[in-house]
Amino acid sequence: MADNNKAFLVEHRRRDSYGFALRPQHIERYREYVSIYKEEEGERSSKWKNFLDRQLEYGQSCSCEEECKEKSQGETTECALESVSNRGREGDYSSGKTSDSDGSTKCGPETVLQLSEEDKEEVQCMEELKNEVQSSKEPQNEVQHLGESGKEAQHSEQLQKDVQLSEEPKIEVQSAEPRDLQNLEDSQKEAQFSEKLIKEVPPSEVRKEDSHSKETKASKIKKWSLIRPSLHAIENLMSFRVKNSKEKKNLHIAKAGGHLPLPKEMESQTEEDVEEEICVKEILDENFSTSAETSSENTEATKEPFFPWKEELEFLVHGGVPKDLRGEVWQAFVGVKARRVERYYEELLAEELNVGESDGVPIKWKRQIEKDIPRTFPGHPALDDHGRDSLRRLLLAYAKHNPSVGYCQAMNFFAGLLLLLMPEENAFWTFVGIIDEFFDGYYTEEMIESQVDQLVFEELMRERFPKLVNHLDYLGVQVTWLSGPWFLSIFVNMLPWESVLRIWDVLLFEGNRVMLFRTALALMELYSPALLTTKDAGDAITLLQNLAGSTFDSSQLVLTACMGFLAVTEARLQEMRKKHRPAILEIVEERFKKGRVWNDSKGLASKLYSFKHDHVPLIEEEKIGEGEVSQLNTCSSNLDDFLIGLSNNSEADSLPDLQEQVVWMKVELCRLLDEKRSAILRAEELETALVEMVKEDNRRELTAKIELLEQEVAELRQALADKKEQEYAMLQVLMRVEQEQRITEEARLNAEQAASTQKNAVCVLQEKYDKAMAKVAQMEQRVVMAESMLEATIHYESGQARAVSSPRSMRNPSTSIESPRRRISLFGLGWRDRNKGKPVNEDSSDCTSSNDGKDSKTLLSHNNNKDKRQQD
Amino acid sequence: MGCSSSLPGRSSEQLGGLNNNPETNGVSDAKNLRVKLVLLGDSGVGKSCIVLRFVRGQFDPTSKVTIGASFLSQTIALQDSTTVKFEIWDTAGQERYAALAPLYYRGAAVGVVVYDITSPESFNKAQYWVKELQKHGSPDIVLALVGNKADLHEKREVPVQDGIDYAEKNGMFFIETSAKTADNINQLFEEIAKRIPRPSTSS
Repeated sequence: MADNNKAFLVEHRRRDSYGFALRPQHIERYREYVSIYKEEEGERSSKWKNFLDRQLEYGQSCSCEEECKEKSQGETTECALESVSNRGREGDYSSGKTSDSDGSTKCGPETVLQLSEEDKEEVQCMEELKNEVQSSKEPQNEVQHLGESGKEAQHSEQLQKDVQLSEEPKIEVQSAEPRDLQNLEDSQKEAQFSEKLIKEVPPSEVRKEDSHSKETKASKIKKWSLIRPSLHAIENLMSFRVKNSKEKKNLHIAKAGGHLPLPKEMESQTEEDVEEEICVKEILDENFSTSAETSSENTEATKEPFFPWKEELEFLVHGGVPKDLRGEVWQAFVGVKARRVERYYEELLAEELNVGESDGVPIKWKRQIEKDIPRTFPGHPALDDHGRDSLRRLLLAYAKHNPSVGYCQAMNFFAGLLLLLMPEENAFWTFVGIIDEFFDGYYTEEMIESQVDQLVFEELMRERFPKLVNHLDYLGVQVTWLSGPWFLSIFVNMLPWESVLRIWDVLLFEGNRVMLFRTALALMELYSPALLTTKDAGDAITLLQNLAGSTFDSSQLVLTACMGFLAVTEARLQEMRKKHRPAILEIVEERFKKGRVWNDSKGLASKLYSFKHDHVPLIEEEKIGEGEVSQLNTCSSNLDDFLIGLSNNSEADSLPDLQEQVVWMKVELCRLLDEKRSAILRAEELETALVEMVKEDNRRELTAKIELLEQEVAELRQALADKKEQEYAMLQVLMRVEQEQRITEEARLNAEQAASTQKNAVCVLQEKYDKAMAKVAQMEQRVVMAESMLEATIHYESGQARAVSSPRSMRNPSTSIESPRRRISLFGLGWRDRNKGKPVNEDSSDCTSSNDGKDSKTLLSHNNNKDKRQQD
Repeated sequence: MGCSSSLPGRSSEQLGGLNNNPETNGVSDAKNLRVKLVLLGDSGVGKSCIVLRFVRGQFDPTSKVTIGASFLSQTIALQDSTTVKFEIWDTAGQERYAALAPLYYRGAAVGVVVYDITSPESFNKAQYWVKELQKHGSPDIVLALVGNKADLHEKREVPVQDGIDYAEKNGMFFIETSAKTADNINQLFEEIAKRIPRPSTSS
């Protein structure tokens, strides 16, 4: 036991509070978020409680009025009033935390149960009563089936309303049975356990055994239960949606039967296939259109005042549905009550059991289901042998119910998820609603709609995240590689469970696939910054896969999805689908032509027929047929056989009868028209794309020009810089030149100075020379004087001598006179020649006076000086 | 004027780079290869298990059903010091998902077609996939035929020789593996890595 506990502990740690496996790398992050989830859960359950309490009151007053109007049902009015008072008391008890008994066992330990006694009784009573109620419902089915005019259909609607109304009072009258008390006890026990579980680790074996025993009991006791009354208002709201689509299907039956379509169909155009719509419009006689308008107005009028709280509900749904309400709220959203055909599910299963392999669900689907059952949430505590049996039954029943889908991988997960939240038959009808309507054409053999949706999503991505898509294109990654699995699995296994469930809340509320797109876009928005940093394809894909897998902040995701992408609406998506569908159809048809290896003998035409011609009418016919059968209670095997035969016929592809062929041709014609239209659209689109491309081209040209200009500017700048450099160099040269100039100037000045000093020197010399010359002149004069004096003396001497001496001596004086003269001349010459030759100088030096010698000497030194200076 | 002639040259180079990238996706350079590999085959033959064994070294007998496709990558080093990064797309097995398969095998350098040696039907399906890849896959795609669940030899229904013969006829590499015992799993990918055409040095 201790070991088991331990093992469970380990096991539990690897699973989230829903019992789903956690990836090892996410365990830490999940723990971080557990407290946040708890907090959010607390908030939302109180909000929902409030809302539902008010709803209950409102619903009562409303139903009271309605019932009062119904004069024909006089007896029930009383009961109804009684019920109102009853409910008034109950209002206090029925909290938002209630859960239906069976759902709790299926949900296992996760749901918190606080079932009030009254509520419980009511649920049980309702169940007890369902046969009774159903019997009063059946006439309506018949009417619907046979309904050929709008009036009748409306009448049937009225009738159905009556039935619904009459249902409640009857329930109230019934009293609780002992078994219910037993159940209540169980569930209270359960509640204690589950409370523990939420806080801490649950006691493993005890709890398991407990739930086992109850589950077996539950699965035997009942597979169907009604949802709590507080959700009836939502259920009613949603059942309008169901009725709308049902009526549309009736239209198909009418068409297939060669009848004119019901004018009522005009009112519901938003939800159905566009192709069908076109058919409706084109086939419709104009006469009917006026009546159609009036009738649609009528229904609009009756519809509107019913649900003033729809917006509030939407807000609540965006905030999440409380765990313990989820199963029932989802059923209300899908409109299970309006979809359900009594005993249909059991009969499907019974047929499947009784009929041999050849007639039942094709062996390939059976095998695939067997393969996939153990691979559906492997190891989930609630999916034990019994859980797997339920899963198998549900999938087989659906495969039988809708052979155009049969079984497709991914459906196992949806069925498994639903089985965890609600009883088996409830899960079946919810499943039918989801796959047949919300995901119509998604999981069929060709998966056309899912492929179309991928094209649409890619377009939306290009529109919303051009940068990201460009980056992914560059890496060679296609967005659809990842979004494909997201869409096909409705995010199951792709995101943390809390986020998946929150997305499903919104998706089922809206009843279309808008939430798929919004969520995928929100994921891209959240993770595009990270994606933009990736460098190769593998990294980008791994990153996105991992990031998506760890999107634990479910509120952020849902809010981003719902608020950030309001422009993505069903109408817009339909338009885009219409545009992209032809391309996919073409590919699919191409594949047919090629003839695949596992293609059976089906011909192209019949194949085309089977997928173009909507499967729904057949099934619907079958379904309604079943209803009839059960109503008549005589098990009209003929009709049954006929219906089986009909569905088998479509399976075996025997040629459809002529009328069907005509219808098919019509459909084909419509399709072609549609294709033509979409081709025109595409052409227009291409044109705009071309314009866009041209614009792009222009832009490119402009950028090229800009680049060119920029380059030129750069060049000019370069030139400018070069010139500046040159200038600088020039300046430097200039400066150097100037410097040199200055130097030369200086040199010149120096030279001038030198010249002036030389001039001065010359002047001084000249002066000296003049002085010297003057002295020379003086000296000459003196010489002359001296000569004259000398002559005079000589004359004197001679006179004396003549007087003394002979005549001879007379002659001698003459010669003597001559000789001094000679001497003087000699002297003179000699002085003059002194510069020329020393000998003369030497000769004369003896004779000249000391004065003369000195003068001549200074002169000489002067001359020498002058010479020397000139040489310098 | 000189600049104007240089401009278109540059832009065309850029465009060329963009266009080339997806093609060179398979091979980044001579020493470090990047390879897109796609696993195809019937449902339940063990495609996901092979990948999980190869990438994470784990084996879970109750693994989840693959919806659409799932992606994992793993790098291995070869003896000649080159590394090969496998970008593995593991596809859903149910036949209707074949409609989506082209999305994943388009541009793949390697196609690994898996069958279960205990299931002749899966061997037939494998042959379908081989044909499909030959027709619509990349022209130079490297194909491998893998017979998985080799550990269940006592339940064998597809003789080894059948696999060898078919692979030989179609120029494929053939190996029998067991994701459960890890037999031949690494060998499978190593052999594939050896067979991938190396980028020529001139380009």
